[in-house]
Amino acid sequence: MGVMRIGHISIRVLDMDAALKHYENVLGLTRTHEDSEGNVYLKCWDEWDKYSLVLNESEKAGMNHIAYKVENDSDLDVFKQRIADYGVDVEEVAGGYLECTGRALKLNLPSGHEFYLYAEKEFVGKAVGVTNPDPWPDGVKGAAVHWLDHALLICELDPEKGINKVAENVKFLQDALDFYLGEQVMVGPDGDIIAAAWMFRSSTPHDIAFVGGERMGFHHCAFFLDEWNDVLKAADIMAKNRVKIDVTPQRHGITRGYTIYFFDPSGNRNETFAGLGYLAQPDMPVITWTEDELWRGIFYHTGEEAGQFTDVYT
Amino acid sequence: MVETKKNVRYIINIENTGETYESADGEHLLVGMVKLGRKGIPSGCHGGGCGVCKIKVKNGKYRKLTLSREHVSKEEESQGFSLACRTIPESDIRLSAVGQFKKVVTKSYGFV
Ligand code: FES
Ligand SMILES: [Fe+2]
Repeated sequence: MGVMRIGHISIRVLDMDAALKHYENVLGLTRTHEDSEGNVYLKCWDEWDKYSLVLNESEKAGMNHIAYKVENDSDLDVFKQRIADYGVDVEEVAGGYLECTGRALKLNLPSGHEFYLYAEKEFVGKAVGVTNPDPWPDGVKGAAVHWLDHALLICELDPEKGINKVAENVKFLQDALDFYLGEQVMVGPDGDIIAAAWMFRSSTPHDIAFVGGERMGFHHCAFFLDEWNDVLKAADIMAKNRVKIDVTPQRHGITRGYTIYFFDPSGNRNETFAGLGYLAQPDMPVITWTEDELWRGIFYHTGEEAGQFTDVYT
Repeated sequence: MVETKKNVRYIINIENTGETYESADGEHLLVGMVKLGRKGIPSGCHGGGCGVCKIKVKNGKYRKLTLSREHVSKEEESQGFSLACRTIPESDIRLSAVGQFKKVVTKSYGFV
């Protein structure tokens, strides 16, 4: 019972051809489906469900929605009740409302981001199969990312007006959806305002993260790589393809991941995230970063803001 | 391989910071600025999505790549507003930077 992992993210792009070149050739996803409206669906080689990324050509960049997969179809009934009891509006949509996906729960997080839970999605299989598989497949392009790992959403934060959508999201995900809080950034004169949160359901440090900002937005979605050398090679591939890199290979203090931040051709931020980080477990004590060391948490080596982490998002 | 034409260069003048730099034909306005270490226009995603590089062109000819309507409306576009990373000069350009980063000193709660 419960949420297993991030299932997919739907992103708006300004130019579909440019976006496909980026996600196919630079990151190495493959196209698995196109719907009647021209939205394109892609998956990574190590994923088994039909898609983890939806590209939607639009006049504006940013995220349409994010979806998480639950273990059993009956979990949806339980969550529907719990979400409603919590006081958040939730609607059940029929199978097919999300392409190639079973019935789903549609809601908005307290921050406003559109969010789905579903239990079933068409099965495609890993590129290496399941019988005596090779460790990696031949012919994958670019950085050959393994899977969609997590996303970071910007949530409105204005403590002087008493607005903290980071805090509201954390409480909702904990109370209604059984997410665990892995790490948090605490700010303000008394250090009692939560300005960022990393939450998990799987055994990795985060399946979703929230950072406070001026307006609701999409900060990045991250794709998994095994290790540091893969991160270096991914950065080479980005440079070869003249991808706009925001932050070159680095370590995060928070989650301990190895990272590159970069932008897709529509200005949506992507990340390649490598390494386990650490084993995240329900009984793990919450890790706290204080305001004076918060940039050490984000970029561990310099302890300073790098790239345009705070002000640039879609 | 990424090909860029390097023969023709235009003079870009950022009115509100007084900076001047050269931009190559076929490259958007942030490429030359960043290469030359100038900082007059905020530089973010270079994809027309984040809006920090918003400019108002006062003078000059240019063409535009697709940009997010979130940051430049049709009406603004007709008044000369654009995003620097979506603007390719076709003559010398005089512009002012409209988009802005928040100053770190004004952030009293970590990220905001
Ligand atoms: S730098 Fe993001 S829109 Fe130009
Ligand atoms: Fe991340």
